[in-house]
Amino acid sequence: MLGALFFYQYHSWLNRLLARVRRLRQPKYLFGAIVGGLYLYFYLFRGFASSRSARPAPMPLAVPAELSDLPQTLAALGFMVMVLLAWILPHSRAALAFSEAEVAFLFPAPVSRRTLINFKLLKSQAAIAFSSLIVTLIGRGWRGGSFPIHMLGWWAAFSVFNLHLLGSSFAVTLLMDRGISNWKRRAFFLGGAAAAAAGIYLWMRQSLPLFPSPSDEGGVKWIFNYVGQVFQSGPLPWLLAPFRLVVAPYFAANWAQFLLALGPVLAIIALHYFWIIRSNVAFEEASVELSRKFAERLAAMRSGNWHAARRPKKAARPPFTLHPAGRPWVAVFWKNLISAGQYVTARVWLLLVWAAVFGGIFLQTQSARGGGGLGLGVIMFVGMLLAMSLFSGPQMLRNDLRQDLPVADVLKMLPIPGWQVVLGEVLAPVAMLAGVQWLLILFGAIFFPDHIAKHAIPLAARVSFALAAALLLPFIDLIALLIPNAAALYFPAWYHLGKEAPRGFETMGQQLILMFGQMLVLLLSLLLPGAVFTVLLLCANFFGWPLLGVVLGAMAAALLLAVEAALGIRLLGGVFARFDLSAELL
Amino acid sequence: MDIAPPRITDAAAAPPQIEVAGLTKLYGDLPAVSDLSFAVRPGEVIGLVGPNGAGKTTTLRCLAGIIPPTRGAVRICGFDLAQNPIDAKQRLAFFSDEPRLFDYLTVTQHLTFVARIYGVADYQQTGRQLLEELEIADKADKLPVELSRGMKQKLAIACGLLHSPQVIFFDEPLTGLDPIGIRRMKDSILKRARAGAAILISSHLLHLLEEVCSHVLILKNGRKIIDGSLEEVRQRFSEQDGGGNLEDAFFRATGETKGEA
Repeated sequence: MLGALFFYQYHSWLNRLLARVRRLRQPKYLFGAIVGGLYLYFYLFRGFASSRSARPAPMPLAVPAELSDLPQTLAALGFMVMVLLAWILPHSRAALAFSEAEVAFLFPAPVSRRTLINFKLLKSQAAIAFSSLIVTLIGRGWRGGSFPIHMLGWWAAFSVFNLHLLGSSFAVTLLMDRGISNWKRRAFFLGGAAAAAAGIYLWMRQSLPLFPSPSDEGGVKWIFNYVGQVFQSGPLPWLLAPFRLVVAPYFAANWAQFLLALGPVLAIIALHYFWIIRSNVAFEEASVELSRKFAERLAAMRSGNWHAARRPKKAARPPFTLHPAGRPWVAVFWKNLISAGQYVTARVWLLLVWAAVFGGIFLQTQSARGGGGLGLGVIMFVGMLLAMSLFSGPQMLRNDLRQDLPVADVLKMLPIPGWQVVLGEVLAPVAMLAGVQWLLILFGAIFFPDHIAKHAIPLAARVSFALAAALLLPFIDLIALLIPNAAALYFPAWYHLGKEAPRGFETMGQQLILMFGQMLVLLLSLLLPGAVFTVLLLCANFFGWPLLGVVLGAMAAALLLAVEAALGIRLLGGVFARFDLSAELL
Repeated sequence: MDIAPPRITDAAAAPPQIEVAGLTKLYGDLPAVSDLSFAVRPGEVIGLVGPNGAGKTTTLRCLAGIIPPTRGAVRICGFDLAQNPIDAKQRLAFFSDEPRLFDYLTVTQHLTFVARIYGVADYQQTGRQLLEELEIADKADKLPVELSRGMKQKLAIACGLLHSPQVIFFDEPLTGLDPIGIRRMKDSILKRARAGAAILISSHLLHLLEEVCSHVLILKNGRKIIDGSLEEVRQRFSEQDGGGNLEDAFFRATGETKGEA
């Protein structure tokens, strides 16, 4: 029976690979593949390739000789925490993740439970091997040592954890069947963890000086020494012993050590396997439900609709009352604000304004008392957040065409011009992003210190700059959000829309190209408004009204940005009206 | 309720609500629909039938303005769909086989959204009546994810009918409905036809079409085999072999045999 399952797995993999290779005949995928390949080479593989040649290996993290055992102990501690969480967090019955097709074909077929589990475990090995390769490549600079030993070490740890996750989920299900609720189980494990922590603490109090002062041994070395003592003596080494065995292959210095360390891990894997196979747990029903949810989520994610991938569980209150008469695009704007969830209500925003105002006043008072050092730091942080919002905001807030293009057939049927669809779609994330930015500006304006390094910052200056920023940012946001929406309309296949959206590293290359393209277009669109702002500022400064220049310059720049945005919306409206779903999404 | 196809004579004199002339849709080089022409008058219900891949859904999507035809013209209530898409779309409704809803809007919010888009002033009363008629009034505050498939379809129908369309396109309208829902759907189709709507239904369920349609259009490989009144189509294909119903006519028209099917 396993032969048939391997046949299915092998041919699925092969056909997927062939489809991707064939796809490279299209220039957009070929170009994406080249860029993605170059990115992977430079980011992941170049260091590996160079370490095999004459180039020196990356410098490993320096750990003092007396603490050479600490990384392994910390890894074991991390593994122990993960295992503990595997017993605490689950709240539903055990489910093996099968695809919907696997459920449809395998569950009614004459295939034993044991075969299904074996198939699932063997299938997971492909993912584990790939993950091991990736984390080894990413972490090759962390410490020296052999690449294959590290990769096999990761494989051993991942395999044990994967098996333990499955075994613990079976055990949790058995506990549920015996009437032991989730909270009872959690109380038991949390209580056990707390008792162990208390035992270690008591031992530390009796055997070790409690947290010696830094001056005892100088520098930060005392922290390592103290931690080393805690991990190497008393009860903790015993508690960590099985987990140290699991991570030991990764830390082996040579092949002999690795083979010695591998033996116990293989024994642990075998014990886990027999535990799972012997567990008489019905996982089928929960697996069917899981596969359905997974398929829905996958379909939503493949269609670029990450928001829908987390389906709303609760209806969101509308941000305002929508009347039947009025401009139709407002309905699209209203709809997309609702899609943002519970966060876009007047109550939430009033609370945030309150927090910005009173937080600003409170911190300003504290900062003034403390000599103003805090002030500059916070202002720099606020400025950094504002700058980040311009670049990250349009990527994070996607409740626009990128969210709705998978249901573009519904939008196409609406009796409204294309530009109104685009305007309504794009305004929702703009409103949210501008709202956050205005809050930051409000907070910053209130909090801004009177003096920076003996230079007085008058209130008028603070207000002028805040007004200018508040005026400009929504229009910059509008253009910044129009760009990815335009990309989604012009290159829908690159934006992962439709039912059969592609995956693979060629699509990663496409995403990189799009990202750089977006940044370039945004910078180009800011050139003219930026030049006008600068000219007006210089002129006003020449006549001795620099602050007026800031506000007037911002107004002129905002006007230009609005014109650019209006042209962009008209253009995209036309593209949307001509958008042929049959050519792009079907 | 009495189920009988609408009378043809009532509509014969009125100008067509749906006019299709030379409609062609190519997917790359592959013709999905070729040179299709027909007209539907107020009160007529036309059944669009054909084997899988005949071009039925493509035809409906072109007529609803979802995808542009490669060639040809479509007029809805006298408005050219390419030249005056807003006026044309204002007068039509399209119901796909799979209800297409916004995950994050409740039932009521869907109706509010549609009312603003189509400018339906008295939408609250009309909407309430529709929800009651479709028996989902108690689900007004639910999200689509909380509705069964049949209920989702009812919500899509309520949204589509809110602006009282004069032209209605159905793509497999009975999919997912229970027997009561099927009966109500048939009643609803006939009610709208009697009120003067021009209706086009694509379905494989030939007995449904016989019950509700006044006309039939048979497609095969994207080409029209025949269109005409139900009676005309039956007669045309019964002359040769003496069969009497739409199913027999369909098999003869498409050159299939029941055994092969």
